[in-house]
Amino acid sequence: MASHKVVVASFLLCCLAQTCYGGVLFSSLERTIDVTASPNEGQVLSVGVNKISVTWALNKTLPSGIDSTYNTIKVKLCYAPVSQRDRPWRKTEDNLSRDKTCQHNIASKPYDASNKTSQSFEWIIGLDVPTATYFVRAYAFDQNDMEVAYGQTTNEKKSTDLFEINGVTGKHTSLDISSVCFSAFSVVSLFVFFYIEKRKGKAASSVEQKVIT
Amino acid sequence: MEVEHPAAAAESNNGNQSQEQKFSVPVDSENKATEFRLLSISKPHMRAFHLSWISFFSCFVSSFAAPPLLPIIRDNLNLTATDIGNAGVASVSGAVFARVAMGTACDLVGPRLASASLILLTAPAVYFTSVINSATSYLLVRFFTGFSLATFVSTQFWMSSMFSPPVVGRANGFSGGWGNLGGGATQLIMPLVFSLIRDIGAAQFTAWRIAFFVPAFFQMLTAFSILIFGQDMPDGNFQRLKKAGEKPKDEFSKVLFHGVSNYRGWILALTYGYCFGVELTIDNIIAEYFYDRFNLKLHTAGIIAASFGLANLFSRPGGGIVSDAVSKRFGMRGRLWALWLCQTFAGVLCIILGLVGSLSVSVVVMIIFSVFVQAACGMTFGIVPFVSRRSLGVISGMTGGGGNVGAVVTQLIFFKGSRFSKERGITLMGVMIIICTLPICLIYFPQWGGMFFGPSSEKVTEEDYYLGEWNSKEQEKGSHHASLKFADNSVSERGRRLNASTRPADESTPTHV
Repeated sequence: MASHKVVVASFLLCCLAQTCYGGVLFSSLERTIDVTASPNEGQVLSVGVNKISVTWALNKTLPSGIDSTYNTIKVKLCYAPVSQRDRPWRKTEDNLSRDKTCQHNIASKPYDASNKTSQSFEWIIGLDVPTATYFVRAYAFDQNDMEVAYGQTTNEKKSTDLFEINGVTGKHTSLDISSVCFSAFSVVSLFVFFYIEKRKGKAASSVEQKVIT
Repeated sequence: MEVEHPAAAAESNNGNQSQEQKFSVPVDSENKATEFRLLSISKPHMRAFHLSWISFFSCFVSSFAAPPLLPIIRDNLNLTATDIGNAGVASVSGAVFARVAMGTACDLVGPRLASASLILLTAPAVYFTSVINSATSYLLVRFFTGFSLATFVSTQFWMSSMFSPPVVGRANGFSGGWGNLGGGATQLIMPLVFSLIRDIGAAQFTAWRIAFFVPAFFQMLTAFSILIFGQDMPDGNFQRLKKAGEKPKDEFSKVLFHGVSNYRGWILALTYGYCFGVELTIDNIIAEYFYDRFNLKLHTAGIIAASFGLANLFSRPGGGIVSDAVSKRFGMRGRLWALWLCQTFAGVLCIILGLVGSLSVSVVVMIIFSVFVQAACGMTFGIVPFVSRRSLGVISGMTGGGGNVGAVVTQLIFFKGSRFSKERGITLMGVMIIICTLPICLIYFPQWGGMFFGPSSEKVTEEDYYLGEWNSKEQEKGSHHASLKFADNSVSERGRRLNASTRPADESTPTHV
């Protein structure tokens, strides 16, 4: 009985330890950064061709000193809810260490609290970005690399100012042609083998015929 | 190539007698090997073994090549979880009917042509995986590639044609197990090939497409090897044997009838659905299960998933070996008991797997579970060769197809949508394994007995059982001779205790002719 309790207790402890160690909760972050991105609502961009210009700065209406712990700003490309539907690998979770909403990095810049001017970055959309609907979010990290604040281009519900990106298909004409050729070869060689077998069978039985007669 | 010189054979006989053939392993009266020498490639027995397991392995690699690359493919094709789930079901459902068809094809044209044809005809589906661009096309290529899993039937048929009853269990176990290994190996091979190609310089959405040429090409090569180096039976290929009159042509409808009307085939189809079907289901869901429940990296979850399939290296053959060993002492009754015990225990472990909450205990339970469920698969095919001789292919096909039906049904009931959490689904699947294994108690061979009853008091012999598949007209024609030889050789299934006392004095144990 006692050993059973010890097992349960240590299991619970491990679970809790995981969450403590795990990460910052998104709901605990304040939205203090104003982020704007160049794509308009509903605009469709292509990877490798189009650029996204992101500008971010601390919200001017906030009391001073709130950004004292900010060390780095990381700007990320995040999936909109429509692209998360029925795709658990892009799920939003409150625990940021398990959150998979923002999977593509746009920029990472150090933050200087004394310099109040806005920073910006122009990003050519990477070739590995898939076709989906997105928004842009910026996280402020402190010296221990923990999230302390955020800002995003869309609203709380993530329903406004969303834009689309078209990814590459990865297809190539040479691949298409190779597939067709190899497939044809596969099927044709089967029939060639059949033909050879039949010929051999005929040759064998004709030899046997000769011997009998 | 063909056995001996057809010309020499013609010269030395008038085409009706089978000639004296020297084999490098001891054989029985049907020229089936009575020893299983794993490291030999002697013609024709061990060569057939290596050709069949390697080709089956390549089909497994191709059929499950997509899952480890899904993190890339799903972004490239914009797939949803539903699309992925449907394709997973499709990948195993194609083989349901293909396996039954393959069984019949083996009975009619021989395992060499049947398997090589299927492999070469499904290779295009693997090549075309490189050009897909939508959820529908993804489902279609997985569906058609999955047909190649029917080579399982030709593998088992081929082994049952080449190896004698005392070793047929281990021959089937090794070939089936080492083939199934492909499902685990692919989880390691495909990501490796993909990263190699990507590091050479291809973009990731192109690299995975190029990667698919590897399993496709390998699959094609194995088919060529079978056609060039393989041989259907110890005495030669079907076609030549048919022409020489040594292998009488059988009627498709009769073969099908005797297979389908044998209730034991149906029971084994059901129980195989709950060892092999469960194995296929686990192949499809286990990586995600570990990834989600224990928050592992996809790479780590993939390695754990691979280890489930890799246990096939020894666990399925182990099942075959245990089946053969038990049969030496207890005969067919021993084989039936071993299967029931092993599979029921696997069900218990499956229930536990769903209930366990710690990662390391979960992995340990999963590995033990994999050993028992795969051993049960091996044991099933220690019994299948004895259910019918005339319709061996159909019975193998039904059992094999039943395995895939089990995978389809189980995934649809427990792992589609969000009715059950994955862990609950796994536990319920364990309960279903136990229930669906009970029908083994109903299998009864009049000449050997069943789990709870001994052989029939009417002194039914093996000959009576196997010749019961041929009517008197067919027996007059002499079509039943192969079954007669098999009946003689299967006397070993009486077990040691009964052998000396029940066998009549004039029957002698056949050694090699």
